[in-house]
Amino acid sequence: MLRGVLDLCLLAVIGEGPVYGYEMTKRLRSRGMSIVGEGSIYPLLGRLERDGLVATRREASNGGPPRKYYSLSLEGRQSLETGVTEWIAARDAIDRALDLMKVEVSHD
Amino acid sequence: MIEFVEECRREWKRLGVPDPIANEMALDLTADIEEAESDGGSAEDVLGNSLFDPRRFAAAWASARGVTSPPIPVDPFTPFPRNRRPWFRPAVIAALSLFGLLTALAAAALLIGRHGVAVAATIGRRAVLPPPQWFGPAMHPIQRFVSGPTFSSQNFGPFALLALVMFVACLVTLAFVVVYWTSGRGRDSKRLF
Repeated sequence: MLRGVLDLCLLAVIGEGPVYGYEMTKRLRSRGMSIVGEGSIYPLLGRLERDGLVATRREASNGGPPRKYYSLSLEGRQSLETGVTEWIAARDAIDRALDLMKVEVSHD
Repeated sequence: MIEFVEECRREWKRLGVPDPIANEMALDLTADIEEAESDGGSAEDVLGNSLFDPRRFAAAWASARGVTSPPIPVDPFTPFPRNRRPWFRPAVIAALSLFGLLTALAAAALLIGRHGVAVAATIGRRAVLPPPQWFGPAMHPIQRFVSGPTFSSQNFGPFALLALVMFVACLVTLAFVVVYWTSGRGRDSKRLF
């Protein structure tokens, strides 16, 4: 489940506009997600690219070397929408389960 | 940091990643790390705990992208990939088994043949003696014809030794066939899982 969630987070960041590797890391970290601590995002990006969920192009960056920019493909956008829907359903189900547990705990 | 990227390059080379793709990944990695350092961070901000295992990181990235070559199996009996010579192992086993079987048959024939000659020699020697009552004197020429030339029992030694050597060769060959076959089955089952 966690692996799918990480993919979903990356797709969400890429869905905001073309972005390169380190920029993705910074955006995720600014939102409280430090997935880099567990490893790096490069293998995840590689898998998304291989599966055709992202398109890539190389562009010159501001004053730096050319960077590889990632953007969502059509399949990637559909996957993002499906993933968000499933995540919301799962999150609501978990919230309900936790609320139920809270009620049980309060009865004790 | 250069050392980390170089270690990744070596791993990609080992895995058969095409040079243009390896160069591209190395450039992306270098650029991201340099940017992180210019932001006041470190390579760990980009790589996480992968920083401490470059080979594993490089292999995971290349594998995720699907740019590694299939590994070439190492087999002392087949200098070429196994799937190019699927007939090799069965052919070796069949040839060695045939050799072992023929050796055993030849040794057995040698022993039985010598034994037969030895018996015939005994009969031949007995034929020189006066025939027993129930045999009759008319049987002597036929008996000599059937028994053929007489041999002495001293001739039997070298043939028995040769037969023994052939039996040993047969056993060694069959043992090798069993070991070869068993090791092949082990590798095949490992490949399945």
